[in-house]
Amino acid sequence: MSKRRKSRPAGTQPGPGGRQSGPGGRRSEGTGRRSGATGGRPASSRRPAARADRKAVTARPRPVGWISVLAVVALLAAGLIGLAIYSGQRDDDVATPASATADGTGVVDGNGPVTVEIWLDLHCPHCATFEEAAGELLDRMVADGTITRVQHPVAFLDRASTTRYSTRAAGAVGCAADAGAHPGYVRALLAAQPPSGGPGLTDDELIEVGADAGITDPGFAECVREGTYRGWTQQVTAHAAREGVTGTPTVRVNGEDVPATAEAVQAAVARARPGS
Amino acid sequence: MVPWAGTAGRLLLGGVWLAAGVAKVGDLAASGRAVHAYRLTPYDVSVAIGAALPMVELVLAALLLVGVATRVAATVSALLLAAFVTGIASAWARGLRIDCGCFGGGGDLAEGVDPAYLSEIARDLGLLVVAMFLVIYPVTRFSLDARLASQRRVRS
Repeated sequence: MSKRRKSRPAGTQPGPGGRQSGPGGRRSEGTGRRSGATGGRPASSRRPAARADRKAVTARPRPVGWISVLAVVALLAAGLIGLAIYSGQRDDDVATPASATADGTGVVDGNGPVTVEIWLDLHCPHCATFEEAAGELLDRMVADGTITRVQHPVAFLDRASTTRYSTRAAGAVGCAADAGAHPGYVRALLAAQPPSGGPGLTDDELIEVGADAGITDPGFAECVREGTYRGWTQQVTAHAAREGVTGTPTVRVNGEDVPATAEAVQAAVARARPGS
Repeated sequence: MVPWAGTAGRLLLGGVWLAAGVAKVGDLAASGRAVHAYRLTPYDVSVAIGAALPMVELVLAALLLVGVATRVAATVSALLLAAFVTGIASAWARGLRIDCGCFGGGGDLAEGVDPAYLSEIARDLGLLVVAMFLVIYPVTRFSLDARLASQRRVRS
């Protein structure tokens, strides 16, 4: 680089614009070219200082390269810091509600031979629509022993509220599962769904919805207030993403994706029934 | 003219990185899910990209807004933008219906919401042009690069 600079003809010396040259020899070369093109003064009229300047610059290798190296290091470090923060945020030791699946990623009711899994976010309007349309049908199929219903309350939409409502509400579903009442509680929460963009329901309101849905267990209120299943919600959410669930509601009947409508679910369950 | 245009481009690109980084950094898990929604990488890789990307975007924003190591920042910006364009185009080509997750959000779109692939790609291509301009002409007004260079002159 310095060789190139030494051999640069006088007419292309960095003029006043040369001060702008940044890290990297090529960069200052570009400037030199440009200032020459925009009418740099002829060498003869240059102040002697400019000449001395150039000498000094060529005499000592400029440390500019280090700035680029530092920038690259900063970018790499930033990526690693992100990874470190993320892995620090993960709770590995989480409490799992009663009536959770064996891997702890959903809450179960019923024990029929066909498994209907529903991934839902309590702040997702289409999940409320689906529950309204298909909830009672699924209740009946649970009751008559046709299906096992697994609900995965995920927190995809934490940013749709100012209070991470998705996480808090999903955790409250875990609390309701401990009280043996999660299907009714999910329905009540979806019916009481707060608008997107606001603060969502407070913890007290989450408890109130539970009381209205018939949850009288005093442990429920405590569980909601303490956020006992916050870590569990993270686990459910990560599992959903790993399973390729990228939106809610996602419905699977015996592992097969099914459109989130009552008719589609009914048809899929009928097909999946043993002996049919 | 060119240094001034470079300053404008630097501030624009830096501002976009700042907005994108800030929007994602508060929920790194969501950022990982947004990456996974492209269905291009295994889950653990998606999560790693999702956790690292917002921080890289913020550092790029800082470098560009201050105007230090402009060529490096612009080169990395151009590479990232090219990757984004490729990812969005690939999602489009495979018929996925996702939000690009460029400024937070991401994931599959709800029924009845149309993907905005064309405008997302157009935006990123526009920014790619700006980044490439800065790679070629990294010398801009009001930059720390310029200040450092002039200081070195005074010292030496």
